[in-house]
This record gives sequence, C-alpha cells and structure tokens, in this order.
Amino acid sequence: MMKQSGPKFLFAVVCFSGLIFCAASPQSSILELTQLKGLNFVLQNSPTTQKYLIETMPGGIALLDYNDDGLLDIFMVNGGRVLDPMKTEDFDRHDPRYWNRLFRQNKDGSFTDVTEHAGLANAGDGNYGMGVAVGDYDNDGYPDIYVTNYGKNTLYHNNGDGTFTDVTEKAGVAAGGWSVSAGFLDYDNDGKLDLFVTRYMEWDTKHSKSCGAEWHTYCPPEEFPVTTNILFHNNGDGTFTDVSQRSGIASSKGRALGLAFADYDDDGFTDIFVSNDGMRQFLFHNNGNGTFTENALEAGAALSQDGRRMSGMGVVFQDYDNDGRPDIVVTELPREIFSLYHNDGGGFFEYRSLETGLGVLSSGSSGWGVGLEDFDNDGWKDLFVAQSHVLDNVEDIDPSLHYKQLPLLAMNHNGRFESVDPGTTVPAASRGAAFGDLNNDGWQDVVVSVLGGAPQVFMNRGGNQHWLTISLRGTRSNRDGYGARVRVNGQTRYATATGSYLCSNDKRLHFGLGAAQTAKIEVLWPSGIHQSLADVHADQFLEIREPEKP
Amino acid sequence: MIHVLILLWLSSQAASPDALSHLQTGITAEKEHHIDVAIAEFRKATDLDPNLAEGFMSLGQAYLENREYDRAIAPLKHAVDLKPDLLPAHQLLGYALLVEGYAEEAIPHLERAHETAALGIAEVNAGRLKEAVTHLQAALEERPNDPDLLYYLGRASGLLSKQSIDTLVAAYPDSARAHEAMGENYFVLRQMPQAEREFLAALKLRPDTPELHLELGDVYAKSSQWDKAEVEFRAQTKMQPGNAEAAYRLGSALLQEGKAHEAREQLIRADHLRPQMPEVLYSLGKAAFLEGDTAAAEKAWIDLLSIEKESDLAAQTHFALAGMYRRQGKTAEAQHEMQEFQKLQNITPGQPPAGQQQ
Repeated sequence: MMKQSGPKFLFAVVCFSGLIFCAASPQSSILELTQLKGLNFVLQNSPTTQKYLIETMPGGIALLDYNDDGLLDIFMVNGGRVLDPMKTEDFDRHDPRYWNRLFRQNKDGSFTDVTEHAGLANAGDGNYGMGVAVGDYDNDGYPDIYVTNYGKNTLYHNNGDGTFTDVTEKAGVAAGGWSVSAGFLDYDNDGKLDLFVTRYMEWDTKHSKSCGAEWHTYCPPEEFPVTTNILFHNNGDGTFTDVSQRSGIASSKGRALGLAFADYDDDGFTDIFVSNDGMRQFLFHNNGNGTFTENALEAGAALSQDGRRMSGMGVVFQDYDNDGRPDIVVTELPREIFSLYHNDGGGFFEYRSLETGLGVLSSGSSGWGVGLEDFDNDGWKDLFVAQSHVLDNVEDIDPSLHYKQLPLLAMNHNGRFESVDPGTTVPAASRGAAFGDLNNDGWQDVVVSVLGGAPQVFMNRGGNQHWLTISLRGTRSNRDGYGARVRVNGQTRYATATGSYLCSNDKRLHFGLGAAQTAKIEVLWPSGIHQSLADVHADQFLEIREPEKP
Repeated sequence: MIHVLILLWLSSQAASPDALSHLQTGITAEKEHHIDVAIAEFRKATDLDPNLAEGFMSLGQAYLENREYDRAIAPLKHAVDLKPDLLPAHQLLGYALLVEGYAEEAIPHLERAHETAALGIAEVNAGRLKEAVTHLQAALEERPNDPDLLYYLGRASGLLSKQSIDTLVAAYPDSARAHEAMGENYFVLRQMPQAEREFLAALKLRPDTPELHLELGDVYAKSSQWDKAEVEFRAQTKMQPGNAEAAYRLGSALLQEGKAHEAREQLIRADHLRPQMPEVLYSLGKAAFLEGDTAAAEKAWIDLLSIEKESDLAAQTHFALAGMYRRQGKTAEAQHEMQEFQKLQNITPGQPPAGQQQ
C-alpha cells in the first residue's frame, strides 16, 4: 500500500566542500545562493537591437527524476541564436551552445550533463526555446518531457533506460506559433494525462517591431494580436487529439504566459488558470463533461481590485491560508502589484493583495516564476518570486525601475506575507523558477533561470522543524497522481508539477509540519477514491499508492 | 462681406473704373473659388490703379486663401501703407506674418485690428508671455473651450511659469524654492532619485515650506516606497491639518500598506475637509471594505456613483461593489454591478476587452 523510507540526507549543503560553492549571503536567510558542481549552463536568449520579443521571455526549468534513482535531475530550456536582424527563422539549435540541457544528479550532489546521451541534443533549428512540462503521459513510471518553443513544440518520451525519443509527430502535439507555459493534467479523470499549452500572441520575426520612440525597446503586448491556447486530449495509445475547439478553450483568445491547475470549486475536476499579459486573466472552469467555461470575471479572478487589466506573467494555484481551498497568486509588472485571489468557496475569489501584505512587497517589482512553498517548514506556504523587468533598458525609460532585480522571498505568518532576505545580494534578469527538494533533506530549494547567464540555485539551509514529502502513485488515476488533493495536518496541496512560469516543479508534495512529529494524511484521488493515513511519522519521503478498489 | 462693403465704398470714390471692373470680376471669381482667376484680376486692378489699397488687400486675401502666405505679405503691406486705417488689411497682414513666423512684426497689425486671439498667439511666439495670457484669456471669453486657444493659453502659462522658475534658479540657486522647483521638474520627468534629492535639500533649508512633504511623498508614492510616502504625508498633515489632499494621500499610502484602519481615519478626515471628492470616496469605500464594514463601503461607493456615472472611477466602483455583493451572497446585485462595469469597460465575457480584439 505504501512504501516508507528514512530521510535521504544524500548530502548536506556544506560550503567550500569542493562540491558546492556557497555564495556569500547573510546567515539570516533560509535560502542560500549556491553553485552546484556540474550544472554548467548559460541561457542563450541572444538579445538584439531589433528587440524581438522572444529574446526577453525564456527559459523553462524542470526538476524531475528522469532515471528513477530518487535524485532530482534538472532540465534547462535554452533560447537560441537570434541574428540582428533575422532573415530566416533559423535559431541554430544544432550548435551545442543553444541546446536544451539535461543534468543528471549524481549521488554526491554534483551534476553531469547527459543531454547528448539522453537524445535531447538538437531542439530543431526553427525553434526558439521557451518552457517545459513534465508528466508520465503513458503511465510507464518514467517522466516524459514536453518542450515549448516559438516554432514547433517537442514531446520526448522517456524510454526508461536513460534515453528519450522525440515522439512529437506520432503524438500530434507540435502545436505551432509561440507556445509558452505548458502542463500535464487529467482534465477528464480518465487516468491518462492530457496536455495544456499556453500561447502568447500572434507574432513572428517578420512582423516584429520595436516601440518606445527614442528609447527603442520591446513592444507592449497590446501591439500584437491575441491568440488561442491549446488543449490536447490523451488518447491512451501514444497519440493526442487537439480538443481546443470542442472543449471551449479556443473560444477565449488571450496573451497567455503562465499556467496553473487546481480544482477550485471542489467538484472533482481540474480547473485551469491562465495568466494573460496586458489584459484580464482566464479561469477555465471544468464542466466535467469535456468542456470548459471561461469565467474569471464572474468568479472575481480576472482583474485587479480596481477592475484594471493586468500584466499577468507567472501564476501559482495553491492554498496559502490553510483553509483547504486553492488560492491564486499572479505575478505582474511594477506599479500593478502581484494579485492574490483568495478562494472564498462557492466558486468565488476575493482580491486580497493589500490585506496579505503582498501589495506593499510587490509594487516596485516585476515578477515571473512564482511558488508557494513552505521553506521554513512551519506549516504555512511561503512565497518566492523570480523578479526582473521585461525591458533590458528600463532604467533609461524610468530610472526608478530596474531590469535586474533580487528575488522576493516572503514568509507566510498566518496568511500575511513578510519579506525576508532572499539569500542573494546579486540582482539578476530572472525568469523561470522551479521548486523542489534537490538534496532530499526535507527542505524546499529553488532553481531560477537567468537571461544570458547561469541558473541561480537557492539551497535551503534547513532548520529544526519537521516535514513530510509525499509521492503519489496512481493506479486507477494517472500514475503521477496529478489532480489529487492531499491534506496533511490541516494543510492542503493540489498535486501538480505545473505552476510558476515556463517551469515544471518537483512533483512530490512537500509539507512543513512545524513541531508535529506525526501527520494525518487524507488523499482525494482524481478517481474519486478517498484515502486516509493516521499517525504517519514526520521527516520521511512517503509514497502513497492509490487503492485499486474504492 | 468685406468685398461688398469695399465695392460700395469704392463706387463713391475716385477709383479707376477699369480697375474697379477687374476688382469686381476678381471678387466674383473668388466667391466661386476660382482663386487663380481672382488673383489675376486683382493684379490687373492694382496694375491699373497702383493706389487702390483695396485691390492690394484683395490680392493679399486671395493669396491667403490659396495658402501662399509668403506672397500675401507684400500686397497687404502695400495696402496698409496706402491706407493705414484699413483695419481688415491689418488683420490679414497680421495673420500672414504670424503664419510665416514673423510674430513680432505681426503684433502691431493684430493690435490695430483688435484681433485678440491671433494677437495672443503671436505674443506667445514672440515671448511676450504676460500679454499673451491676458489676450488669450480675453479671446477665450468670446470663444470658450476653443482647443487652439486653450492650448496656447496653457503653453503661455507654462512658459511664464518656466521663466519665473529659471529666474529663481539663476538668481538663488541654493534657495529652498530653487531646489523645490528643480524637484518638481525632475518629478515631471519621472527622474525620482533626482527629485527626491532636490526636495530633501529644500526641506533641509526650509523645513516649514508648505507642500514640500506632500511633493516628496508623491515621489515616494510614484516609486512605490509606501513606507517613506507615509512618513512624508503624515508630516504634511501635521503641518497642515486642514489640507484635504494631504489627508487623502496619507490615507491612500496607508491603504497600499494594508493598514486599513488608519487609512480609513485619514480618508474620513479628507472627506470632511473637502466633501464629495470622488477619489476620496472610492478609497474610503476600499478602506471600509477591508475593515469589514460593508455598509460604510457601500455608502461611500454609492455616494461616488451619484457624482460620477461614466468615468473610469465609476467603472472601478461598480467592479468593487460587484465584488462586495458577491461576497455577501447578493447575487442579483453583484450581477447588476458587474454588468454596469462591463458596460463602461466594454467587456464581453469570454472575449478580450475592446481594443484588444485583433
């Protein structure tokens, strides 16, 4: 039924150990900017004087255990070469500098680049990389990788032997246009993971333009036409069917960037939140019959408190105040403040950025990747946001704004957020943020993608509080258990790897337990099966297998 | 009309009949918009009678109608030389000179013609700003809300203000007022660090200067430094407890910081000091709502909607009311307010707002 194992302290984060270099930061921060040995990657966004919009948007990160050795590996999406100006849309992805990269974690905590061996070396010369989604779409126990691009997207099937096969054509999930965030979900609870892909706008390099008159900068989204998102239904035979029209998803055109899933109205079906740039947000309510209704406006999750449209970028859909209902946090541009939509129940949300302190913490920032994770294991999910302005010359336009910024780390005190030292004093052009327990010590870590630079890894220093990390093993439900609602000692997590911006998080569900040494666990599987476990010991990685029968 | 009067008057004068005939033909052609014909006829009239001031004036007017301003100037000048009291010629000459950029030269002719609107514009261009303001205000009394006049009055006032500030900064560069003025300039240019530096320097020199804390607070508010903005707005309200704007700004800053109770106190004060200000009522409603006093929030917002019905603020207020009613379970009221909001915002559910559908 369930498999227990002791805490895997595979390594402790020891500065100057030879494996890991810890950048100087005050001891007060729970996170620490750390350089992981072997994680040699530079995100090539290739900025040009043409100010092609794609240059300022990548790149995704996935934290996944692709070889099932119990250690999180890291997949990094790369941009591509951009000529100044582009004559043909060739991003030179056969050049190793522009490859996406898979880094396998070794037992000593170092990483080895296994991209070529894994069969992930060439991303297609017509593709400029954006994001990544991870899910076991064929329920074979090995996570598969879906990479989004400006161009055609790619689905890599995990062969289970350390290699992947590009199955895009057979699966029928190439999409096209400018795809951004993507995620696997089981929207019809048939036990097979479906795929949702957000797309930003109707844009290509031939129809690009720059804006800002004398400042010559990237254009605002309103300059380009809206476009549709895509929903692919998993047929269960290795192929997918585009059901965007049939499901109602395509009837709402937007400028989508972020994506997150949760069952916000507790009807047993996964709903979809899409953050849109420069317009209102989308909340696709799952009608339970294969169709969706976009009702963000009616539900109170479309606009700011003042009814203004927003520059929605990253999004997370989890319960921040432990009332059992998933809430929404959307990251935005400066002066807009990040939006926190509290789930009031009954299918309605209330804007609570000011009451929660998030307003004052975010009014000068520009946020991308975002996560609600319990970094100090006190039983309350804290907030981490990768921050940086969209425009690389924003200081010329408005000197009070900054292109490179520090991340936001805000600790959650009974539902109110307070900013603390994020673990670095080095501002960066951050974009994606992926969350997971890299060193299996029971404390959540963060990997952030940086335009034109190496990723920033924030290792958690840990502490004395207790924790519990749960892996779901679906049997009737999809094998990853995506879509399950898991309650532990009054906290709720919605099982998904999707959320943030462009990224795929550690699929394991992490709970801080505070002083509690045991936990009561309730799982509501997508199949509808309820499962309860009592007196579960803290400080362990626990796999919960779905009962075969209700 | 001018031409009819000219002809009536000329017929009683000793003008050449041939010249008068060409003048008449030219006037007819001009009426029929055959400007080139009119010009040719007026030229013949002035060739036949070189002392025919009205002929030169008509020639100049025809050039003006043909937008040949440079060619209009010479015959019009000749007309006023021949007959200095021919006011329509002065008026036309003033226009032609103004269009050609000879503002200084245009002024006496426009003065003679009592053409206050064009005179005001010429004075703006000639840098005679005080006189320009006087004349443009007089012209606006006759033509209220004329966009050109409003523009030039604004420009004249702005330039006049700049002139005063330039004099101040040049004469007393280290004075508190000079720093304040520089701070205001930087604020307009959105150069907030520089604006902050200047306002702080002014405060150091003259801490009791009215409005300085308010201006510095605005700098902090603009760059979302709400804690610092709160300090400055609080200082301003202490110095000027009767300043409604300061109370409103302080309330707004506190609201941004999530300090609903304190915000509400200040916003109530602002509402007492200057009742029925829509912005104050909107924020007051927000603060009351955050405190859970939905009755007070509803009252403030409904008061606002009785003042403003179609503005952005009215739309925001409908949106806020919809949220509040939804929370209270008043579905019908919530739907009504959302419809009002959508009407003002031109939003169709399931589609992007107007202007984004491409």
